[in-house]
Amino acid sequence: MARVSLSNVTKRYDDVVAVDDMNLEIEDGEFVCFVGPSGCGKSTTMETIAGLTKPTDGTIRIGDADVTNLPPKDRGVSMVFQNIALFPHMDVYENISFGLRLRKYDQDEIDRRVDNASEIVQLEGMLDREPNELSGGQQQRVAIARAIVRNPDVFLMDEPLANLDAKLRVHMRTELQRLHKQLDTTIIYVTHDQAEAMTMSDRIAVLNAGQLQQIDPPLVCYNEPANLFVAGFIGSPSMNFTDGELVDGGITTEHFDIEFDTTELGVGPGDEITAGVRPEDIYLTRNEDEVDYPSEVIEATTDVLEPMGDEIFVYLSLDGTSGSSMTSDEAAGAANQLLMSVDPDTEIEEDESVSIVLDRSKVHLFDTASGDALAHGIIDLSEAERTRAAAESGGQHE
Amino acid sequence: MATTTEQQSDSSDSENGILAQWTQGVIGDDEKRSRLYRALFYVACGFFLVTTLFPFYWLLVLALTPNSQILTGDWSLPVIGLEFPHPQGFNPQAFVEVFQQIPFHLYVFNSFVLATITTIIVLLVASLAGYVFGRLEFPGKGPLMLAVLMVSYFPPAAFLIPLFDAFLGNAVVIPFLGIELFQPPRLVNTPGSMILPFSALFMPLAIFILTTFYAQIPDGLEDAARVEGTTRLGALFRVIMPLSAPGVATAAVLTFIAVYNEYFFSSIMALENVPENWSPLVGGILSYQDQYTTDFNLMAAASIVGVIPILILVVVAQERIVSGLTAGGLKE
Repeated sequence: MARVSLSNVTKRYDDVVAVDDMNLEIEDGEFVCFVGPSGCGKSTTMETIAGLTKPTDGTIRIGDADVTNLPPKDRGVSMVFQNIALFPHMDVYENISFGLRLRKYDQDEIDRRVDNASEIVQLEGMLDREPNELSGGQQQRVAIARAIVRNPDVFLMDEPLANLDAKLRVHMRTELQRLHKQLDTTIIYVTHDQAEAMTMSDRIAVLNAGQLQQIDPPLVCYNEPANLFVAGFIGSPSMNFTDGELVDGGITTEHFDIEFDTTELGVGPGDEITAGVRPEDIYLTRNEDEVDYPSEVIEATTDVLEPMGDEIFVYLSLDGTSGSSMTSDEAAGAANQLLMSVDPDTEIEEDESVSIVLDRSKVHLFDTASGDALAHGIIDLSEAERTRAAAESGGQHE
Repeated sequence: MATTTEQQSDSSDSENGILAQWTQGVIGDDEKRSRLYRALFYVACGFFLVTTLFPFYWLLVLALTPNSQILTGDWSLPVIGLEFPHPQGFNPQAFVEVFQQIPFHLYVFNSFVLATITTIIVLLVASLAGYVFGRLEFPGKGPLMLAVLMVSYFPPAAFLIPLFDAFLGNAVVIPFLGIELFQPPRLVNTPGSMILPFSALFMPLAIFILTTFYAQIPDGLEDAARVEGTTRLGALFRVIMPLSAPGVATAAVLTFIAVYNEYFFSSIMALENVPENWSPLVGGILSYQDQYTTDFNLMAAASIVGVIPILILVVVAQERIVSGLTAGGLKE
C-alpha cells in the first residue's frame, strides 16, 4: 500500500504529446479511475506508473521512493491488462506464481500465497488448468490472482473488463469492489466506460488530450464538473449545452433567457457563456412543483421519444424543426435541441407542444472560450441566495 | 483431364462409358471421392518416400556389399535381369571396419560439437536480434534488417581467403593503405576458425525466422512478464522464446543440419584431414579414399552412421518443425 504521486509527468512521442504535464496525487488505499475518450493518454499515464513507458519529463513517486527510472519489476506494482495477457504456455498455478518464482520465494510460501489468492478470486480447483481451457471471466480472475499474489503496493488495471461480455462485466465490477474492500490496496483503474468509473472509484480522474481535467469523487464530477469537457463526458446521455451571452442580470440564449445574479461569476456582460443542464434536470411545467427553483418557462415541441423502461428520453425542439438524424449526444449539443428525461408514466406524445422549466440549482455555466466552469446552480435573484462560485469545487481544476 | 472426361461423357452420353461413370461417381459419391483422395495421397506420399529413401537404400546396399564386389559385381536382378542396386553378399563387418580404419567417431564428434556450439551461438544472438527487429521501433530498422539479410546473399567462398589469411594469425591490414589494424590469434585447426564463420553465415536466416516469430507475440504478454518481475531480456527468454518454440526449433534444426553437413570451410580451416584438427564428418568419410584405393563400402557405411545423429534430432524436433513451417498467428 502506498501513495502514488505524479509531478509534471509528460510523455512526448514523435509528433504527439500523449501525457501533458500531469500532476496527480493518489492516496494510500484509494481506488482511482482514469477515464477519458480513446487516445486521451490514460493508458500511457498508467504505463508510466507501471514503468513500461518512460516519461519524457517529470517524476513518479510510489510511497516514498522516486521510481521514475526504476524498471517495472522493482516498483512494487502489479497490473491487470485489457487483453488479460496470461502466459499461454503455463497453467493457472504457474501463471499465478510466476512473479513469486522469479523472486525466489520458497515453495511453501508460494503455495500458501497462491492458495490464498486463488481463494480470493474463487479459482480453487482450477490451478492445473491451461488458460485456454478457461472462460473469459475465469481468465480474468487468474490475471487478478496473479496481480494480488505478490501483495503489491499499487494495483494497476488497464481496462480489465473491456473484453468481457456485458453481464460478466457488471458481475466482475462488483467483485473488484469487494476485492478492493478486502485488500485495501491502492488501485488505479483505466477505463473508457464511465459507468465503471462512477460505480467503483473513490475518485475519478478525467483526462482529455493528455491533460488532467478534474480529479474528484464521482458525484462531484457529475454535479460540479470543472469544465465543459468533464460536463459533457460524465453522464449518459450527455448534458445539454446552449451557447449564450451574459447580460446584466442573467443569460440570454437563442431560444430562452434565464435571469440570475451575475455579480459573482467573474465575467462581465457581453461575455460568451455556455449553459449546461442535464436531461433529468428539465421538467414539464405540469410537474413544476417537483422543482424548488424553477427557471423561466421555455416553450418547445417534442420530437422523438425514447422509452427506456425506467425513464423516457424526450427530444425537444426549441424552434420547431426536427433533428431526427441526431443521436442523443449530438442532440444534447445542438443549439435548437434539448434532451429531457421524464418519468416513464408521463403522458407525452411526439410532436406535442410542451412548456418546460429548468431546475435552476442544477444549471451549470461555463466560460465558452476557456471551457472552465463558472457556476453550478443559479438561483433566482428574488431568492437572494447567491450561487456558489466555481472556485468552491476547485483545488485541482485545470 | 477435365476436357477428355467431358468429351468422353459427351460422346458416350447414352451408354455412359466407364470413365464417365467413374467420374460421375467421384463427383456425386462422397465415399468414392474420399477413396480417390486417399489413393492420390498414397501415390504422392509414395513418390516422395521413394525419392528420399532410395538414396539411403543405395547406401545400405553399398555398405553391405564387399568392396571388391562393388566395381566388379553383377548388378542385374536374379530373375528379371534388370540392373538394380541390390546387396551383393552380406558384409555388416563394414560398419565395424568404419571405426577400425580411422577414428570415425571423432569426426562425427567434431561435426556434432561444431554444429551444437554454432546453433547455440546463432540462437542466442539471433534471438536478441530477432527481439530488436521484431518488437522494437527504431530509426533505420528496415535498412539494418536488409543489411543483415545481405550477408546471406554473398557466396561463402567470397569470405574464404581473407578469413583463412586472418585465422592463420596474419595481421589484418587495410588494403592499399597498409595500416595494420590488429593481429588476430591463430585459429586454424581449432573450432573457433569454423564456428565463427558458420555463425556469421547462418545468422541472417535465423534472425529472419525469429524476427517474424517474435513479432507475433502480443505486447501484453511481454508487459505482463516485465511487471511480474522480469527484465526485457528475462521476458524474451521466459515468455517470448517458449511461445515461439516452433520458430526457435526451425531455426535451430536448419542451422544444426547446415553446419553438421558443412565441409567447404572446415576442410580448409583444418589444415590436415585429421580429427585432432577438427576435421568434420565429411572429411572423415573422404578419408576412406586414398591415392590408389577407394573403400566405397566403408564410405557408404560411414555416411549411414553419420546420418544417425541428425535422424534422432529431426525425429525429436519434427513436431515442432512442422508446426513452425506451417505456423499461423498465435492466439493470446
